[in-house]
Amino acid sequence: MRVIGRFSRRDRGPGLATAPFAIFPVALTVVIFLALLMKAWPLLSLKALPSLLFSSTWLPSRGHFGLWPFILGTLWVTMTAILLAVPVSILTSLYLSEYAPVRLKRIFQPVLDLLAGLPSVIYGMWGVLLVVPAVSKFLAPAFGRQSSGYSILSAALVLALMILPTIISVSVEVLNSVPLALKEAALSLGATRLEVIRYVVMKKSFPGILAACVLGLSRAFGETIAVLMVVGNVPVIPRSLFSPAYPLPALLANNYGEMMSVPGYESALNLAALLLLAIVVGFSLLARWYLVRISRRSA
Amino acid sequence: MTRKHYGGRDFGTQRRLRKESFFKFLMAASASLVLLSLVLILVIILWKSLPALKPSMIIRNPGSGYYLGREGGILNAILGSLQVVFGATLLALAIALPAVIFLNNYLRRKSWLAETIRFSLDVLWGIPSIVYGAFGFLIMITFHLRASLLAGLITVAMVELPILSRALDETIKLVPSELKEATFSLGASRWQTATRVVLRQTFPGLVTAVLMAMGRGLGDAAAVLFTAGYTDKITTSLLQPVATLPLAIFFQLNSPYPEVQQRAYASAAILTLLILLVSLASRRLSHRLSRHKIR
Amino acid sequence: MNRPSRLRVENLNVYYGQNQVLKNINLDLPDNGITVVIGPSGCGKTTLLKSLNRLLDEQEGVRVEGRVLLDGQDIYQAGADLTLIRKRMGLLSQKPQVLPMSIYDNVAFGPRLLGLKDRKVLNGLVEKYLKLAGLWEEVKDRLQEPAARLSIGQQQRLCLARGLAVEPEVILGDEPTSALDPQSSRNVEAQLLSLKQNYTIVLVTHILRQARRLADYVAFLYFGEVIEFGPASEVLVSPRDSRTRAYITGEIS
Repeated sequence: MRVIGRFSRRDRGPGLATAPFAIFPVALTVVIFLALLMKAWPLLSLKALPSLLFSSTWLPSRGHFGLWPFILGTLWVTMTAILLAVPVSILTSLYLSEYAPVRLKRIFQPVLDLLAGLPSVIYGMWGVLLVVPAVSKFLAPAFGRQSSGYSILSAALVLALMILPTIISVSVEVLNSVPLALKEAALSLGATRLEVIRYVVMKKSFPGILAACVLGLSRAFGETIAVLMVVGNVPVIPRSLFSPAYPLPALLANNYGEMMSVPGYESALNLAALLLLAIVVGFSLLARWYLVRISRRSA
Repeated sequence: MTRKHYGGRDFGTQRRLRKESFFKFLMAASASLVLLSLVLILVIILWKSLPALKPSMIIRNPGSGYYLGREGGILNAILGSLQVVFGATLLALAIALPAVIFLNNYLRRKSWLAETIRFSLDVLWGIPSIVYGAFGFLIMITFHLRASLLAGLITVAMVELPILSRALDETIKLVPSELKEATFSLGASRWQTATRVVLRQTFPGLVTAVLMAMGRGLGDAAAVLFTAGYTDKITTSLLQPVATLPLAIFFQLNSPYPEVQQRAYASAAILTLLILLVSLASRRLSHRLSRHKIR
Repeated sequence: MNRPSRLRVENLNVYYGQNQVLKNINLDLPDNGITVVIGPSGCGKTTLLKSLNRLLDEQEGVRVEGRVLLDGQDIYQAGADLTLIRKRMGLLSQKPQVLPMSIYDNVAFGPRLLGLKDRKVLNGLVEKYLKLAGLWEEVKDRLQEPAARLSIGQQQRLCLARGLAVEPEVILGDEPTSALDPQSSRNVEAQLLSLKQNYTIVLVTHILRQARRLADYVAFLYFGEVIEFGPASEVLVSPRDSRTRAYITGEIS
């Protein structure tokens, strides 16, 4: 262990006493991973991983555990949410940092803080009350479709709204860190504010805003209750935004803990949890690697 | 001096300014859209909850036939949520505090161990709470526990741990190294420096971090879904199941009876209010407590 | 002076909220020469400079009264074209502010905004203005490198080239050498001196020796008021006002 210098004798005790607590997060990460892997192993030892991941037959009572519909459901819902949320958040945070009067900023910040802290069950409730009827009565007919409203689009709309406050708060912070003098330099070359935003501000803040979006993405991947309440929970391959889906977290929430009787079911659900974990960890690794590369290049 | 290249032309200024006003309109529009839809959430919850928002909601347990629309309240869930969150936050703090002290006082900033610990905290932060819920359930069955206050608060503590640790870590990092050096030069050990100076300096940050973690814990349904169980009584022991507000909302919302659904809205309003109180408290307290802070 | 100069300030008052930062400023900034604005820090020098190309508009809570005339046109009049006004006045800031792009793109930034796309013309412009700023020889082989890799002195000259490339009539300098080492400072000063036949240059500085080296005219600003304004030889050598004398002899700073 590389530790600063040598401790004085008085320091050795507390140092040794606090060390295990610091190791705890590392141990917890490893244990979670191993525990899920161990519980998923019975199924993994019977069937090859690809056949579990890419098969679309989900019939637990007959021993078919194809996770593909759930993986696709997760991807559809998350990606649509991100596509909806990112442009709106970037435009909003640009407005807040570059154009909005101070008084408006003062109103916005606490509202964003509060909404970033609102529980998902409340977003889900709002989705059931407002988004689901809106999708079934207006949006789907507008595209010539029929939909119960419990659909990928509803889930994505609710999810987009949930991650907006997070993305906006982080992005505004990033945008505000662009020095005023740099903007003035571009302005005094005769640029309009929009041109300053496009060529200077956005270029400077790109890595930070990307990090904000990845933060939103990883939150969206794991969101459970709010999505579960509006997405329909039907294990089929999604065909359009108006069809229902069954994302991985919803699968876990609806079935975990009640699956002891069917052989292999428990393993399959733990595999689903492991998969979710792997996706999220993968994303945070990717973001970290990218940010390190960016900071190295600009240094 | 000649200005031959673009002198005397109109530089397309009108076009550029029109483009700017168009985008400015777009930005303002999306900002208003965000503000509007976010305010709409709060308004709808309040409006929907008004019919069922009676004092009995917060002073009574569910009576018999409550889930069919008869009298009762959700005192059990309010108290249960508080029990889970206080327990979980204490547990998470008991791990996070020494961990962060070790991280900042006994390790070099760039050492591989410090990097590994910080990275694992990032990973833990990203793990969805439903996965913690599943893991908590696995712990439960390993130790032959049933769904209980203890299992619930352990799981919520895992959700809160990375939030708390990272927030503490960030505030402790901001302590000026001159302040630490000044304390060392008075002959203080690392431990004394950490506990008497650094912690006092970061106390406001600590309070904010704790309240933030509590807010997160209060609203998390996925973590307690398999681990805490549910009960209509007030929980008096760590090994009994416990009711929580998010699950109370979730279950009542799925009821076919409109009266029960209305109570779900009322419960949601109560939960929102609790979270609002926590976030207001964190603002006020961190303001009050920063009196002794050296700037 | 017979004919009115290109850049004139008339009855200019600037307020930050309740605070009046500039009080009734009247200046006739002579064409084709360097006017140096001196004064203790916090006396409003930078504010004066930023009021000349309306950069003050970018800050909230600032109120400007009075007129700034550029070729007889009030730049504060309603409907004035901000981008055009700013294009006509180049700004050199305290710390060089290179844009987050290549050396070439920094210089080409202004011309491109004005709609110039022809690569050949752009190449010519970039070379011409880098030469004018005395930077061409140092960077001609690495034009596509990020501008942030240049030394801080080179960055400031790049900013000068970038400002010149939009063909301004006025150059505004806000202590442009304060972040530079002595050698780079001399470099930038030399460029400014060689540019003064063609441009109206307004320079803010708190270094008296720099004022002596560069100034044709000197304005002394004290608590938001112009105390004295005239040819450098008069103001710096035999000031009329006691406050100017006190500042020049170093009694107040």
